[in-house]
Amino acid sequence: MSSRFLIHSAVLMLTVVVLLSGCSRPIVRPGEDPAGGMPAPYGAPQVGEHDLQVVQAELRVIYFDYDKYGLTPESQSAVQYNAEVLRRAPHLKVVAEGHCDERGTPEYNLALGDRRGRSVADQLMALGVDSHRLSTVSYGSELPVDPGHNEAAWAKNRRVYLRVSR
Amino acid sequence: MIETYDGAVPDVGAGFIPARLQSSRIAGGDNPRPYCSAVASSLEPAAYTQPCLRHRVLSACLWAIDAVPRVSRNCLLTENRRTMSRSAIFGPSPRPSPGGRGSHLEPHRNALSQCERERVRVSRGKNLFCSRLLRHCLSACLALILTVSAGPAHTKLVIDLENPHLAKMPVAIPDFISSSPGPLNGKTLASVIRNDLYLSGLFQIIETGPSQGFKQSGEPDLEAWSKTGAQALILGSFQVNGDDLVVEARLYDLALGKLELGKRFTGKIKDQRRVVHVFGDRVMEKLTGIPGCFSTRIAFVAEGRSREVFSMDYDGHSSRQMTQTRTINLSPEWSPDGQGLIFTSYINRNPDLWRLDLQTMEPKLLSGQPGINASARYSPDGRAVALSLSAQGTPKIFIISTQGNIIKRLTNGRGNDISPSWSPDGNFISYTSDQAGSPQIYVVPVGGGEPARLTFASNYNTDPDWSPRGDLLAFTARIEGRFQICTMRTDGKDLRVLTDKGSNQDPSWSPDGRMIAFTSNRSGQWLIYVMNARGEIQVPVSSIPGKFPAWSRNPR
Repeated sequence: MSSRFLIHSAVLMLTVVVLLSGCSRPIVRPGEDPAGGMPAPYGAPQVGEHDLQVVQAELRVIYFDYDKYGLTPESQSAVQYNAEVLRRAPHLKVVAEGHCDERGTPEYNLALGDRRGRSVADQLMALGVDSHRLSTVSYGSELPVDPGHNEAAWAKNRRVYLRVSR
Repeated sequence: MIETYDGAVPDVGAGFIPARLQSSRIAGGDNPRPYCSAVASSLEPAAYTQPCLRHRVLSACLWAIDAVPRVSRNCLLTENRRTMSRSAIFGPSPRPSPGGRGSHLEPHRNALSQCERERVRVSRGKNLFCSRLLRHCLSACLALILTVSAGPAHTKLVIDLENPHLAKMPVAIPDFISSSPGPLNGKTLASVIRNDLYLSGLFQIIETGPSQGFKQSGEPDLEAWSKTGAQALILGSFQVNGDDLVVEARLYDLALGKLELGKRFTGKIKDQRRVVHVFGDRVMEKLTGIPGCFSTRIAFVAEGRSREVFSMDYDGHSSRQMTQTRTINLSPEWSPDGQGLIFTSYINRNPDLWRLDLQTMEPKLLSGQPGINASARYSPDGRAVALSLSAQGTPKIFIISTQGNIIKRLTNGRGNDISPSWSPDGNFISYTSDQAGSPQIYVVPVGGGEPARLTFASNYNTDPDWSPRGDLLAFTARIEGRFQICTMRTDGKDLRVLTDKGSNQDPSWSPDGRMIAFTSNRSGQWLIYVMNARGEIQVPVSSIPGKFPAWSRNPR
């Protein structure tokens, strides 16, 4: 019941995001392939696609302060929540995708995104998620989730997105 | 394209200046008179018989250094690059100095003594004359030279050395002429070199009529041209035969009424812009001692739906897509031999380092370590690559071979280290690190040693690019919430903010050190711009939005 609700709300959110954003730049939405139309990163489904989507929808995005990679109390609790979700789905692999807002030099942001992904991965490990399931990738400021040029958009873009796969 | 000397002109191109005077070329810029004057003739009687036009331009070549106090400016300009980078950052050079002094002096005095050494070296047999004057009073020396050298023929050409807004050389470039124009337009050809010289920041382009200033014989009437206020004249002619193109171009010194440079180029019609750019490079070489950068290219990453690597002429023409990866690409960099491009790409879903062979156009994985393989830069000799790797945890600066094997780890500590840039002598690397809490620029000896922090002014300084001349670092700084291109000396002093519109980032020096390419969003979208090293002229050049400009090291 609750998972169905989650899927419905995720679909609704996606629709709203699609309607609201009209930008030529590739925008990543939760659940969408980050590299813009490239083949899916991992092999053909073996266990339920449905399960995967449920877990993916349940994971929270972890947000960061400007030019910081340390976890705030809010992001700390999001990581804790995610660790719990991942412990309940031990068969899934997780990539921590580190992102930054558009401000600053792209190269520096790439390093910053790397550190953000690593902060979250380290914390997940500390909370009992098996390190073999975890990897990180930094996208720097290349894939904003919100194309805006204001603090609200930037706050959404400074994030680590946990992408699960089989 | 084949380049030959114009039959009517003696070879006055490359090699004209004796090698032992190479390092004094820039020195001539600060003190232009001697080589025209009696004093200069006594210093170098054989070497300089005619280059007055050259130093008039050299005077304007002080480019980014005009606000430095008199003595240090002199020294910067006369300093040999290798000693400059070493001494400015890490104190006196350990090598015995040619002048036998300076190694025990504090930095300022040391700079003075190096300046002196340079002078001594240049003047050779005139040690006593030169060093005494310099040691006792440099300013008096300058005044003396100016006074003594005020020869009657060139009085009007003296440029006020104290004027920070240095005079630009007025140059006339009428439309190129042809008896058989065919599909080519002489106006277009002339506009290529007009734009080149304008962008260098050293020239003022004089407006000209279409056919003024020729004698009935067809020879240029140099006196008439001189009356337009121009000090130099560039004339071009071309002939088209089918697909073939022959261009002849000449540079005249109007003050002396003299032909300075003549070139003939044979090639194809599609080479037309390149031919004129190459002549522009030769003009710059003739007038400043360092070839221009007009026939070089800039690589960049398209911004928007496509993130492919493109390259274009430095002025934005002849744009060409280099990659077909259909993924995100970052930080392109030309190999020093011009045969390849390296760049970071998500082809394998991780920011790995790839190399694109410009012959086959096939990308090949160069470094695929876990984590980032980012911001790679070739060493000046092309034998190694510095980049940031996070395989061992935190992003750190590493040096790898051109096969991708790790040679050494250069930085340690807690910070994110990224964006390395080699000094032109290959002895130092500057980079960005946030080890002190905010991103700042550091410099570390490649041979090993402690990093030194260079920037303190802003709490966000990133992306250093070491000038090919070795004396300046360009970088991005956050100032009042926006990002601006700045330059500073390699000791962190003499900070200059070159941009003030929109946000600007990713500076990349031209190979002659006279221009900087960067990306700016001042027009509402990110475009590649070029500016002269003092920032006076800033123009967008890319026809499509782009980031990560990287200037090629040599002509294509």
